[in-house]
Amino acid sequence: MATDERDLIRRCLAKDERAYRELVRAYQAPVVNLAWRITGSADDAAEVAQETFIRVLRSLASYDPERPFRSWIFKIASNLSLDAIRRRKRRPVSFEDLSGEDGPTIEPADPGPGPAEGMRLEWAAERFEALVIELPEHYRAILHLRYREEMPYDEIAETMGIPLGTVKVRLHRAHEILRRRLNARGPTT
Amino acid sequence: MKANLTCEACERELTAYADGMLHAAVARVLDQHVEECARCRATLEFHRAIARRVATLPGIGVPAGLEERVLRAVTAPDRARARWARFGAGALALSFAGTIGGLVFWPRIAKQWGLPDPASALARALDSGVEGMIAIPKWIAIDVTFYEPIARQIWLSMEALAAIPRAVIVSLRSPEAQATGLVLLTLGVALYLLLRPSRRQEGGIGHACLAL
Repeated sequence: MATDERDLIRRCLAKDERAYRELVRAYQAPVVNLAWRITGSADDAAEVAQETFIRVLRSLASYDPERPFRSWIFKIASNLSLDAIRRRKRRPVSFEDLSGEDGPTIEPADPGPGPAEGMRLEWAAERFEALVIELPEHYRAILHLRYREEMPYDEIAETMGIPLGTVKVRLHRAHEILRRRLNARGPTT
Repeated sequence: MKANLTCEACERELTAYADGMLHAAVARVLDQHVEECARCRATLEFHRAIARRVATLPGIGVPAGLEERVLRAVTAPDRARARWARFGAGALALSFAGTIGGLVFWPRIAKQWGLPDPASALARALDSGVEGMIAIPKWIAIDVTFYEPIARQIWLSMEALAAIPRAVIVSLRSPEAQATGLVLLTLGVALYLLLRPSRRQEGGIGHACLAL
């Protein structure tokens, strides 16, 4: 952990209000975006972010400084986001895509892009985003943590509370689902 | 090298490969396969493009007033505690001042209103308090003096009784006594087996003995 961050946490533990503000400012954008990516709702994301920071600041004494602070804060945010989804009982897609997580397989019927398709990757931004939103929340979270937050796999595993192998499998499945759907609908609109 | 790795096995690792999260040795094998296999190369490009697109997906702005709401929620309990602490300290100071004032002015007020003298009332209260405190050890002492001789007698008789099993053990050392004991024990067991009452022998000698 960076010295600045350690110092910030120490000041927060000493109930320094300025440090509270600094911590919220440092993490509010990534936390809100993670929550939004998982819940798919700006209102839920705002609520989740607020609750995340309240919990973080209240339970800062239980934080283990040996672990990455970002993982800890994101873990709280992602758990709260999943709780929010459970409360809403609204799922964008069924969980059929989650099946077979233990053994990632690529359907033999899907040959993948051929050599000629290699560069046909210019998808419309809205369409690509719509496809990402359609993914189950676990996949959305993992894609966000990996590519938006640039987290290594082990940190994602810690954040989501899943084994390293499951991170790899879920990420691969998310890629495969996107690839299949992009291929099925054509490259551009 | 391509022959050693099927496209299916390669595709399974392509996401981690594109992310640079594979072990160097495994990555080297994939390097070679991807170089030789156009289909896997294209899939790899696809994975890389997906990663790039996810990284550049638009985000949302921070909701207005988030920082303030968080701070209010986190510091509110501390503020309430501080308020109660201030209130408690004030109440304590007031009661202290009231007690001192009472002690100083009470005799004069009591005299004016014809109330009992506070000094003598205080002395009486102290007396009864001290008496109450002394009463408990006194009561314990009386109980001890009453029960102590009885307890001593019980202790002595227990010691005397303890000698009996010791004497029995000593007497059983001689072979004659052991033989007698064995005979008596056998007789006892036989008598018990003979006379024990049971449902099957209702009306038998055991039941008759019990009835007697």
